[in-house]
Amino acid sequence: MTAPNSPLRGRKLGDRRVVVDRPHSAYFRYAGPGVMIAKAAASAPTTAQGRRLARVRAFVFGKPLSSAQEIEERLSKKLALPIFSSDAISSSAYATDEILRVLVLAGLAWMTWSIWVAAAIALMLTIVAFSYRQVCRGYPSGGGAYVVARENLGPNFGLIAAAALMVDYVMTVAVSSASALANLATAFTVIQPYKVELGALVIILVTAANLRGIRESGNIFAIPTYLFVGMALLAIGVGLMNTATGAAHHLDAPLLAETPGVQAFTMLLLLKAFAGGSVALTGVEAIANGVPAFKPPEAKNAANTLIIMAVLLGVIFIGLTFVGLQYGVEATKPGGPTVLGQVGHAVFGGGFLFILLQISAALILFLACNTSFNAFPRLAAILAKDDCMPRQFAFRGDRLAFSWGIVILAAVSIAMLWAFDASVDALIPLYSVGVFICFTLSQAGMVVHWRKERSSGWAWRSLVNGFGAILTGVVFLVVAYEKFDAGAKLVLVFIPFLIAMMMFIRHQYAASARQLEMKPGAAVPQPHRHNRVVIPISGVNRAVVQALNVARSITTDIRAVYVSDDPARSDAVREQWTQTVPDVPLVLVESPYRALIAPVVAYLDVLGRSWPDEREKPITFVLIPEYVARHWWERMLYNQAAKQLRAALLGRPHTVVINVPYRRDEARAQAAAQASQPAGTLVAADNGRPPEP
Amino acid sequence: MPEANAAVFRRAVLALSGGPTDEMIVRLACELARPTHAELIAVHVVELDWTKPLDADVAERSEEAQRVLDAAEGIADLVHGKIEAVLVQARDLGAAIVDEAAARDADLLILGLPYKTRFGGDFAVGRAVPYAFKNAPCAVWVVREPMGEESR
Repeated sequence: MTAPNSPLRGRKLGDRRVVVDRPHSAYFRYAGPGVMIAKAAASAPTTAQGRRLARVRAFVFGKPLSSAQEIEERLSKKLALPIFSSDAISSSAYATDEILRVLVLAGLAWMTWSIWVAAAIALMLTIVAFSYRQVCRGYPSGGGAYVVARENLGPNFGLIAAAALMVDYVMTVAVSSASALANLATAFTVIQPYKVELGALVIILVTAANLRGIRESGNIFAIPTYLFVGMALLAIGVGLMNTATGAAHHLDAPLLAETPGVQAFTMLLLLKAFAGGSVALTGVEAIANGVPAFKPPEAKNAANTLIIMAVLLGVIFIGLTFVGLQYGVEATKPGGPTVLGQVGHAVFGGGFLFILLQISAALILFLACNTSFNAFPRLAAILAKDDCMPRQFAFRGDRLAFSWGIVILAAVSIAMLWAFDASVDALIPLYSVGVFICFTLSQAGMVVHWRKERSSGWAWRSLVNGFGAILTGVVFLVVAYEKFDAGAKLVLVFIPFLIAMMMFIRHQYAASARQLEMKPGAAVPQPHRHNRVVIPISGVNRAVVQALNVARSITTDIRAVYVSDDPARSDAVREQWTQTVPDVPLVLVESPYRALIAPVVAYLDVLGRSWPDEREKPITFVLIPEYVARHWWERMLYNQAAKQLRAALLGRPHTVVINVPYRRDEARAQAAAQASQPAGTLVAADNGRPPEP
Repeated sequence: MPEANAAVFRRAVLALSGGPTDEMIVRLACELARPTHAELIAVHVVELDWTKPLDADVAERSEEAQRVLDAAEGIADLVHGKIEAVLVQARDLGAAIVDEAAARDADLLILGLPYKTRFGGDFAVGRAVPYAFKNAPCAVWVVREPMGEESR
């Protein structure tokens, strides 16, 4: 309580009032009976160093946001579309290449099949989008395939979906940054030797933008996505118009990716082309993972955004394939022009619009990784809430972003870039394996969902999802088979590893929860265990006396322990101790081997053994007097032995270790008190040294 | 020359009672203060009877009294306004509010008035509002609580 303010006189005789201090108001706000809400000031750093660090953090990541501002950080549909769709939409920039690269093996005459393969992929996209639309509505708390599989197929299937998704998100970041750099390197060869470093830099920049919060990162990344969509639609529109007017003419034969006609046109080849083009679907699931990021009504907005994304992706993918076919566009060798580039060049004629299309494609490929930065941390947070990931992943940072997930994703992606030397060819086989596992599981989960729910139209809905599950399952098998030797086997090893890790974490949390569990409604009786205090001392000084005073408030069974390798010094300490604190026994431990910590621990062992077996073990409080260093360099000078002792006693049964800090300002106050008291009282003489137990 | 419909004030004292009118007053004042960056002072008065000394440790320990002002600060935050919260102990509510407004040189005093009726159906204005009308050196606005369904 603060001292009351003196009464103020009013305007009329006898009117008085007192303005009451509100000491809590700077830091807290009462929200209800017994409930206080901490204000920003309560979380503000109190040291100069902390304040400097906070200013730097605010400059880089922005000022901290309160949880109440979460609703303001929610995304509108037009902002959510670029955030969650850059991965999916950017894949339309290279999906047609993947189809053509396979079909060319059967001969140029079979290239016309590309449009049918693209149509089949678009059908699969429709089914998957339809399914995830239902997921958004059915599971508005987010989580996508993981939650669907967990709820309908069982927790372990949920973990398979989660592990597959996490691997795919990491690969999305690594592949998109590597492929964007590969594109840039063809134009600026000087960056070729620094691709890993530049890729890491790009990932760090995207990480920093995401740590600033989802809304702000959306503002940063919206323009490139919309620019690409606009330019791609314009290219398709002009291409269609040229086709209709007969102005579309076949291009000169480019440098083909493969020798044409080396394989027969078989069902397997068609499936390979289908599997290759299915990379267009990667990233479709991201919206279903991030439903809570949308403005209310969250589920409806997410579902509608998903449909807009699927329509845009489908239109651009089929449009580019169709227009490319009209112009006789082919897949080329690495380093050659892409299908998008060839189409752009054909319809725009190599002018400003063509350059703009290429720049927008490079930008969206760069930013495709941003989808992962939004989806991965949310998935990790949901897993953390389910005790399958460390709980830190569920905490939001200063800017309401799931900082742990963002940072871990960045770190693992940079490691992947480094491990594969930022080579797109080496990374691509690891990509898109995981996403088809989660598509299959989510579709299968939705079949069970419809059958359980039995709402109107459940039969045809489950039929569609069942068909989708089979289709995506087949694509998964084809992708895994085709890419197995090229690197997919790594993914197929890593996914079980992640599952095992999550199961281990879940088991650990469950075990600790069982150990900490209380019987509901059970009253906790007063403890009857004996308490005793042991104070390791470095001499007789104020810090020790302070610890002693704290000990007296705990119990009367107190003893001090002094470990020394110098008998003369021990005698001096004993003499001073008996003069100053005669009622507290001092145990002197001579340590001829000069060890300081081990003898204290051994003494505690002896104390424990000397306790009668039939009685409940007492709680031993070890009070460690500690001199509070004011500066960072002082910390190196003091309390080193105290730290070692704390470490040695960590986890020791029936033992509580307490630091009793002694501050310099208390030293002054005690010095003043000492000056006014007779000698021999508890305020002991200072031996001139800070304590060092 | 200010616009005819613009409420211009430099400093306003908002008298808060913990009742339903508090939110209306804070929202209104924050809206009006925004264009001119006028200063807003929210005052809550805890009335003490003569059995206790005026400087008795009552209001500071009263969570309820603190909550009235904290809630006002919360509402101001929501509408991106800023208020200074002042907790006062006094013998008479009306006098304390008017004195606080005068001491702070406020040019507007806004009070809330709950819609209460006495036995027999007469509308009860209470003592604070008439006192403020009679004695406040500045302009006085009163925000009355809407009638309940049963009163209409």
